[in-house]
Amino acid sequence: MKRTVDVNIPLGPVHPCFKEPARVKCETKGERVIAAEVELGYMKKGIERIMKGRPWQEVMFLAERVCGICSVIHNMVFIEALEQIGGIAVPPRARYLRVVANELDRMQSHLLANFSYCYTIEHETLAMYLLDLREQVMDLLERLTGARVTCAYMIPGGVRCDIHQENQEFMHVSLDRIETELVRYTGMFETGPMIALRSRGIGILTQEAAYQAHAVGPTARASGIAVDQRTQHPTYMKLGFAPVVRHDCDNYARIMVRFDEIFQSIQLIRACLSGLQKGIIRGGGTCIAGEIRYSGEAPRGELTYVIKTDEYGRVVEIQIQTPSIMNIEACCHSMIIGADSIADVTSTFVSADPCIACTER
Amino acid sequence: MSILQTIKNKVRSRSIHVSYVDVGSCNGCDIELLACLAPRYDIEQYGIFVHNNPREADVLIVIGAYTHGWEEKLAPLWEKIPDPKAAIAVGNCPISGCCFNRRGSYVDPPVSKHIPIAAEVPGCPPRPTEILNAILSVRDSVFADWEVKRR
Repeated sequence: MKRTVDVNIPLGPVHPCFKEPARVKCETKGERVIAAEVELGYMKKGIERIMKGRPWQEVMFLAERVCGICSVIHNMVFIEALEQIGGIAVPPRARYLRVVANELDRMQSHLLANFSYCYTIEHETLAMYLLDLREQVMDLLERLTGARVTCAYMIPGGVRCDIHQENQEFMHVSLDRIETELVRYTGMFETGPMIALRSRGIGILTQEAAYQAHAVGPTARASGIAVDQRTQHPTYMKLGFAPVVRHDCDNYARIMVRFDEIFQSIQLIRACLSGLQKGIIRGGGTCIAGEIRYSGEAPRGELTYVIKTDEYGRVVEIQIQTPSIMNIEACCHSMIIGADSIADVTSTFVSADPCIACTER
Repeated sequence: MSILQTIKNKVRSRSIHVSYVDVGSCNGCDIELLACLAPRYDIEQYGIFVHNNPREADVLIVIGAYTHGWEEKLAPLWEKIPDPKAAIAVGNCPISGCCFNRRGSYVDPPVSKHIPIAAEVPGCPPRPTEILNAILSVRDSVFADWEVKRR
């Protein structure tokens, strides 16, 4: 039987709300969306093919350029996988500095995601506040690592540079300021009646649907699934990490989970800085032949690298699984379906924080 | 120079609409461009307005190493922009392909093979101030006296 479709509306690839090219095709009945399909393929660069056969010194920088927003975690997962293969020990000071860099990266990524959402629902004031806050986090990242975006801070056996005493004090002062401002902005988001109209009860992803689509990261945690790879990471276990979970399942919950995680990241950075031991920041070791599957928690969810190296430290085989693809699936099969208007489609799509660059690589 | 041209120069120097298109980057330059919107850099104080509609844009910012998905899309997009117009390549990728321009990859840099590029901002990624500087330099060199230069 032929399906009755009023209009087939394509959104993208060049769209004011999307940072990156993706195409969402919506089948609508009146204003109600009854089916959606996401078309990818505008960003395929074949980065895994470039990586094969190259030494780890080159692949390390290529791994960072899988995704520019969450570059630190790509670096961290690749380097920690190499360390697991070679049995390289990391000094305790370097372990804590890695967590500091990773959490700063998570903070700026979550602030950017919440900025995009507020920009999409046309709340530009809050969006600009959040973007201003993000610049302060980028300053801290730059002071720690020396670069704003692709910083290559971690290397096998440790980190590249130490944190100075004055930078440490600056970081404490800056984190206090960021926290007080963020409390205010989170309150604005929580209590804003117009924001609630655009966010509460929209883009529902039930727990069963989230399990079915294998949703990860804040998208899954907003649907009541306590899944977080950081709970299996030894340094985070020492810091007593527990994932943030909400049960509202809508756009509002996804944004609030991100806000809560930023507060959690601030606490983790403070715990790391106060527990920082004196000592070396880089140990020794060699990268040897081996094969491993290693996961870490990116700002968007679980990130997995499958790596096979030869005895010279060259990467023979590499496969990357990035979190966004599962969230995009969850988005087009559950969250968008039943949206009351086309305007909700873009905001729901952005609330899942899809990163097209790392989805297609 | 005619009075009309003087008025046009004056108006154009404070009203630049920017559209950006990502033709296969790692997102690093993307977020540095978004950071230009932040109150710290405040791109709108120069009269530059960033949105993503090519039909009313003056400046097209191209990011990324030109993947095959854009073969039939980037040139028509460039056609849709009304004159006077300029394209700026931001980052190393549209200039040389950067680390993606290797054997086995699916990219086809540089972007200047496909559309005319007026300014290039190297860097992986460049800082927001450098992107801002490039847009302002294009304003002075391309848009000022555009009718006179065309003749």
